[in-house]
Amino acid sequence: MNRLKSKPVWMLMAVLFVALLSVGTTRDKGPLTQSDRIDAITKRIACPTCDGESVYVSRASAAESIRRQVARDVAAGTKSDDQIIGSIADTFKAQVLLVPRATGIDSLVWVLPIAVFVSAVAGLWSAFRRWKKSNYGEATADDVALVQKLLADDPRDEDNV
Amino acid sequence: MLGVGGLAGPLGRAALFIGLIGAFFGMVSAITGTYNEDEKVLRLLPRFAYLGMFGAIAAFACMEWAMITRDFSLAYVQKVGSWSTPAIFNFTAVWSALEGSILMWILVLACLTAGIAFKYRKKLNDPMVGWAMATMFFVGIFFFILTLGPANPFREGAAGVLDGPGPNPLLQNHILVVFHPPILYAGYVGMTVPFAFAIGALITGRVGEGWLVETRRWALISWGFLTLGIILGSWWSYEVLGWSGVWAWDPVENASFIPWLTGTAYIHSVLVQERRGMLRVWNLSLLIATFSLTILGTFLTRSGVLNSVHAFSDSSIGPYLLTFFAIIVVVSVGLIGWRGDRLRAPGTIDSPMSREGAFLANNVIFSVFAFVVLLGTVFPLIIEALQNRQLVVGEPFFDKLAVPVGLTLLFLMCIAPVLPWRKASGELLSQRLFWPAWGGIAALGLSVALGATGFEPLLTFAFGGFAGGAAVRQLALATRRQGLRGLVGRANGGMVVHIGVIVIAVALAASNSYTHSQELILKKGVVARYGGHTFELTGFTTTTDARRTAIAADIRVDGGKTYGPAVTKFKSMGTNIGTPSVKTSFVNDIYMTLEPPVKVTSDSAKIKVFIKPMVMWLWIGGLLMGVGTLLAAFPGTRRRKPTDPTSALVPVDAPL
Repeated sequence: MNRLKSKPVWMLMAVLFVALLSVGTTRDKGPLTQSDRIDAITKRIACPTCDGESVYVSRASAAESIRRQVARDVAAGTKSDDQIIGSIADTFKAQVLLVPRATGIDSLVWVLPIAVFVSAVAGLWSAFRRWKKSNYGEATADDVALVQKLLADDPRDEDNV
Repeated sequence: MLGVGGLAGPLGRAALFIGLIGAFFGMVSAITGTYNEDEKVLRLLPRFAYLGMFGAIAAFACMEWAMITRDFSLAYVQKVGSWSTPAIFNFTAVWSALEGSILMWILVLACLTAGIAFKYRKKLNDPMVGWAMATMFFVGIFFFILTLGPANPFREGAAGVLDGPGPNPLLQNHILVVFHPPILYAGYVGMTVPFAFAIGALITGRVGEGWLVETRRWALISWGFLTLGIILGSWWSYEVLGWSGVWAWDPVENASFIPWLTGTAYIHSVLVQERRGMLRVWNLSLLIATFSLTILGTFLTRSGVLNSVHAFSDSSIGPYLLTFFAIIVVVSVGLIGWRGDRLRAPGTIDSPMSREGAFLANNVIFSVFAFVVLLGTVFPLIIEALQNRQLVVGEPFFDKLAVPVGLTLLFLMCIAPVLPWRKASGELLSQRLFWPAWGGIAALGLSVALGATGFEPLLTFAFGGFAGGAAVRQLALATRRQGLRGLVGRANGGMVVHIGVIVIAVALAASNSYTHSQELILKKGVVARYGGHTFELTGFTTTTDARRTAIAADIRVDGGKTYGPAVTKFKSMGTNIGTPSVKTSFVNDIYMTLEPPVKVTSDSAKIKVFIKPMVMWLWIGGLLMGVGTLLAAFPGTRRRKPTDPTSALVPVDAPL
């Protein structure tokens, strides 16, 4: 059994994982139908008269109107997704992007989560270093006795290990 | 009838006043009795708690009575009542707007306060219980003041009003409005109990593990209600709103999700404190954050500063909630600072590759997730305040950040269940993770074989298989030792919850990534095909009653049952509400909406069809989470007290 769980078998597993992931990822062809593409684009546009909803989600008449314009552009097939969104922004003269820009003060919404994450990881790393230094090393006789007692209770119980 | 109903207002106000008196004298007695160690005074606490509960129940009953008798002398009934609303939605109309929601909040809170007073009636001389009761009463006072002041549901309305519009049409369209709000509120308000004990522990200085043991089950059950409430809300959104999704990162959704995230972090990290005596400040902070975030979320969504399709209110309670939030934060942080010396952890974590290390990593990720959702929710407010400019932060932003965070959490769920306390060796991990990892490869292989594409969904399926394998392995080991009894208890119930989360993650990845849609123009007698299914328009059904006219297109799906996506016009509001119709199966849902223009006289109808894979598994996953929470709340076979150390205490003068 131990041989089964050896390093080469884990390597095989890693290779299989990468191979399967590559096969699945590379055959992704994007939206299948025009309707799927309309959905993908309208998910990125804010409904100008709604409470923060996307055009895809909203049932308001302004959202209906934008959906129709996007459908016309998609059917024409001459514009990219970004160009369609740009033309909607020109038409409605309003904030239509649901994703804040990565420039100016708007970039804070992107930067702050990363900063918080990095600080938290750095804090953890420093805590572990501190804890490692303060560890006492060898188990005492009482520690050993306690572990042996628990293992004697139930040696199969992983909670006791 | 109207004459009798006219009493509801004065009686309701009197009941709220009685409740306020109960809460006020309860708090005064709790503080003075505990401070002076006066048992006579402390023995009064349950009576005041019961008085508060009586006031809250009576006020709620008065409101229901006013709604049932259509007592239009009350402004609230004028706002959400109507003679034409069916009985069930008239009953739920009580919590369909702000004032009634706050009334429901106070009802749950007063019942919980009475429950705590009853449970600890023989331990009231314990100062920690006394201070916890004082905190519960204090929160109660605040909410009673809200219901008597800016959110008073018993305020008299304009004279001469004989009918009203009824609740928002979206709230009289589906039976889930009966269950979703009360369950969500039970979760929200339930978090007051562990918060109150945390404050009690800080004031008394007994910041060891005792208070955790007292409140563990309260926290877990409240978390379970919050989970169930969120899932039922998603289900309501799916069945009612007509855009085929379950989650749109709407401010109200986020307001419930943020405390859920911090609460989830807490129910994990609390295990480290119980087992190792560590993370005391962190656990207190998480509990305080969870409770205060429920208040902040209520402020954001109920004060009108942020709008939402779920809000159904706009009011003047904002300053009250904000002040209360500030008091909670300042007092809590002050208490933590005051007790800083006692909060220092007595132990250390030996290695990141340990169960406690995994819990720490879990907490970092959950906290960052909560921060991301909070920031995205309030960022438009910040920009408006700083630059007087409108900005929308919507679904794509949250998705972009939530997907990597969610995948990281899923990966942690692969590893963490097999990690031992203290330290894991590479060899031990290789042994324990072997079969779960193959579970991941098998899930990935199966997904690819079934035609799944895309990096993120495939990674979700792989991690889902891996994490599922790790959870099943734990359950298999436990049941091998103890039979079905092995499913009960914190660790193993937790594994059932994990399986529920995994099922939801996989279902979300599949339904979000592989939904396809198409608009179809159906003609009577002509069968249309899409996504391997057939759709045939057989006619229209028009239903008219006093409150609405609903037009449904009768569509036979796959030659079998007929479904009726509809458009409903509510007469009092003139609003057209689309009602989707869904054919559900374990593999996929066929979600149909009737699109404008709708002409009954024509022989054609335009519908939009969404083929959505695996949606039913979202609800099954939610059910598993609920079952797992119940299993975790019951005590498993206890081999030792949760507060027992796993290693002998190190003498203070041990050499470094």
